[in-house]
Amino acid sequence: MSTQTGRLIRSTAEAPYYRAVGDEVAVFRAAARRGLPVLLKGPTGCGKTRFVEAMAHELGRNLITVAGHEDLTSADLVGRFLLKGGETTWVDGPLTRAVREGAICYLDEIVEARQDTTVVIHPLADHRRQLPVDRLGISLEAAPGFQLVISYNPGYQSVLKNLKESTRQRFVSIELDFHPADVETEVVVHEAGVDLETARTLVKIGEAIRNLEGVRLQEVASTRTLILAGELVAEGLSLRSAVRTAIVQTLSDDPDVVRALGELVDAFVTP
Amino acid sequence: MTATDSGRPDRFRFLASFIAGRSLGVAEAAPGETAHTDGRFVFVSAGHPASEQRREVLLQAALLGAGSLDRGRVRSIRGRPKVARRYLALEGRRVFAELAARVPLAAALRPDGEPITSSADESLEVARGRGRVADPPQWFGVIRPARLLAAPHGGPGARPSDDDLRLEFEPTAVPETRGNGDEEPGEESRIRRLFENPLFNSNTLSDFLNKLFGASRSPGDGAAGGELPVRSLRRADRVGPDARPLPVPLRFAREGPPAAAVSVGGALYPEWDVYRSRYRPEWCRVIEFPLRAAPDVSAAGVEHDEVLRRRLARLGLGPKIVRRQPDGDDLDIEALTDLFVDVHAGYSPPEHIYLERRKLARNLGALILVDASGSATETDPQGFSVHEHQRRAAATLAVTLEKLGDRVAVYGFRSHGRGAVHLLALKPFAHRFGAGGRARLNRLQPSGYTRLGAGIRHAGEILKAEAGTPNRLLLVLSDGFPYDDGYESRYAEADARRALEELRVDGVGCLCLSIGGSTDSDALDRVFGSASRASAPTLADLSPRMDELFLTALEELAAPNLRSPRRARRRTASGNG
Repeated sequence: MSTQTGRLIRSTAEAPYYRAVGDEVAVFRAAARRGLPVLLKGPTGCGKTRFVEAMAHELGRNLITVAGHEDLTSADLVGRFLLKGGETTWVDGPLTRAVREGAICYLDEIVEARQDTTVVIHPLADHRRQLPVDRLGISLEAAPGFQLVISYNPGYQSVLKNLKESTRQRFVSIELDFHPADVETEVVVHEAGVDLETARTLVKIGEAIRNLEGVRLQEVASTRTLILAGELVAEGLSLRSAVRTAIVQTLSDDPDVVRALGELVDAFVTP
Repeated sequence: MTATDSGRPDRFRFLASFIAGRSLGVAEAAPGETAHTDGRFVFVSAGHPASEQRREVLLQAALLGAGSLDRGRVRSIRGRPKVARRYLALEGRRVFAELAARVPLAAALRPDGEPITSSADESLEVARGRGRVADPPQWFGVIRPARLLAAPHGGPGARPSDDDLRLEFEPTAVPETRGNGDEEPGEESRIRRLFENPLFNSNTLSDFLNKLFGASRSPGDGAAGGELPVRSLRRADRVGPDARPLPVPLRFAREGPPAAAVSVGGALYPEWDVYRSRYRPEWCRVIEFPLRAAPDVSAAGVEHDEVLRRRLARLGLGPKIVRRQPDGDDLDIEALTDLFVDVHAGYSPPEHIYLERRKLARNLGALILVDASGSATETDPQGFSVHEHQRRAAATLAVTLEKLGDRVAVYGFRSHGRGAVHLLALKPFAHRFGAGGRARLNRLQPSGYTRLGAGIRHAGEILKAEAGTPNRLLLVLSDGFPYDDGYESRYAEADARRALEELRVDGVGCLCLSIGGSTDSDALDRVFGSASRASAPTLADLSPRMDELFLTALEELAAPNLRSPRRARRRTASGNG
């Protein structure tokens, strides 16, 4: 089991690209000044991770990212004893590291982890701002810059995997959604490096799929999938086959749905 | 993309929904009819190539999306085919031109000629006038006001409107009652039902009393607060044909101890009638009772199958991390730390420092249903009858599962017509499979027929009520065709398959084993599905892949229903009393 579950991103000179639409930047700034924990809600691929990266850069803090998975234990977050040359040494987990350094700790898709794991963050997420490390018998005070950010994708996970009320009530919630068409076009142009016309068509396709009524797709075409398709186009693929491979085929495995989606997409990229 | 796809217009449904801006289905029109829409479906002309149908879908959906077929406008062209045709020609061109600006496909398929109108109202005005209007192309189809006005609002899957939710129905909507077979519980005549209408009766009665006594209106009678127009109430005494009737518990009236105390139970079960596509409610009487044979303990020997035991022992249904193992995939850091602390302190404990992830949690409840019908009497070359084989297999399976700590029950089953389907309790869940149970199983004599559906349904009820485990499996040991009085071939297969579907919906896995049968029965394959059925001359031949069979049967349950077993048990207990 690796101990380096966290991914550390030093703030670099180049700012991550994020296009703000609502007041999310202002809310995040205010929360950061007070050290309030933030809960990001929003559909897959709408830019939650990118938003946190951009904010960390703007605030000049380090960002430590942990991806939630169902075997994530509290030791993975807090740290554990390791064997080094016949002696046991304590190695900080990503959460402990963030607490000590005063970095932003981003727990991505935290609901994927078991509920007993998430309880570890409770004392950090309220007025105490402490991390009890019971294996060391100490309690760490969070350094001034420390901020906890978790993301959560409502509706995507099963009913069993929901955030505990006691957990969610400690957080400031910021809801992110797909950007409006013109902004999303800008994002696709910037990220995929395609021309404006292609980006516009891609965004139109994305919106058409998102707004289908009476259709049960598990997921809709996210900004991320649109960028993927755009990147394929930038590599010289035809728009039609890029859309088919990056959007239509990824959204469903059901041949009927794929065929119907193909028809819908063909309305924009005529063969 | 080719003409061979033309038979499946359903593929255009997303396209249609997108263009119309609401949920819309696409279907083929009757042969000879041209394209039209009823507001919920677009009907495309049958047999035309896909490109043609795509055009038709595009136009009809665009008309709906642009509001050209709103009720008000459609009403004004009802009964005036010439105006409707002119309106379609004008509107079609107009909405297509509008759509072409938004959707490139529409631009590619656009009809010739510029639109001469700029709004639906203008089109209507021009259509009513005398000016010359070019005929619409063939693929514009027709507007059918009658169908548009008759269809309820919203498409398939759309949110119900207030109209849908209002408690209102027209008397003509009462489903026609047909003659229902021979002895099904009779339906009351429609005329009598009209008179039974509770509102009608209470109104006349209270009017009469008011006249008689001059009573004032009682408070709460008025219409205040509610705008709910109740015109008639529909008695829900009968369910729709697709609803599954619940089993009706039987009550036993007799001297002596109550039936439940001596484990006698039973219920009336519905049966699926494939020819009419509906259930026959309360059709089969299933009685469950313990087999009271004098136990002959000398006959209680059960073959032990080591391969089967080992295979089934692997059948873990949930993962579990085992700590402090001598061997494993990962280091158990805590155990390792403890080890080093101990070593430094001068002890030398065993080096159990690994973590192992194993599927160990069992939690399986299995009911073994043995076919005890007369068809199982044929013998194989060794002189063992099929029934003998099945009995031995049941005993071995039950003993093995019980040893592994699963919950097991064994029931025999046979039938004599729909009035007497018998389930013989050889080993209920609550008892241990001791010498008495084994002896009883060995004394099970084949007779009667196989009404498989009813047997499966009752066994399923027992399993759901008494197993008390999240994983439940029904194991049917049978070889022959389902056959009984009025229960044959297609009807029997369909009913048994339906019964299995019901069980799977309720979260019970099903597996059929045919042991000792000389011929392979296609009928059982069709009933259980080839994945959930296996046959072999002896149980030992199946043992090496028994774990696989069990797992397949349990994995078929897409969404297991983890209902509280206690609640279900209470329900049946009260029913038996």
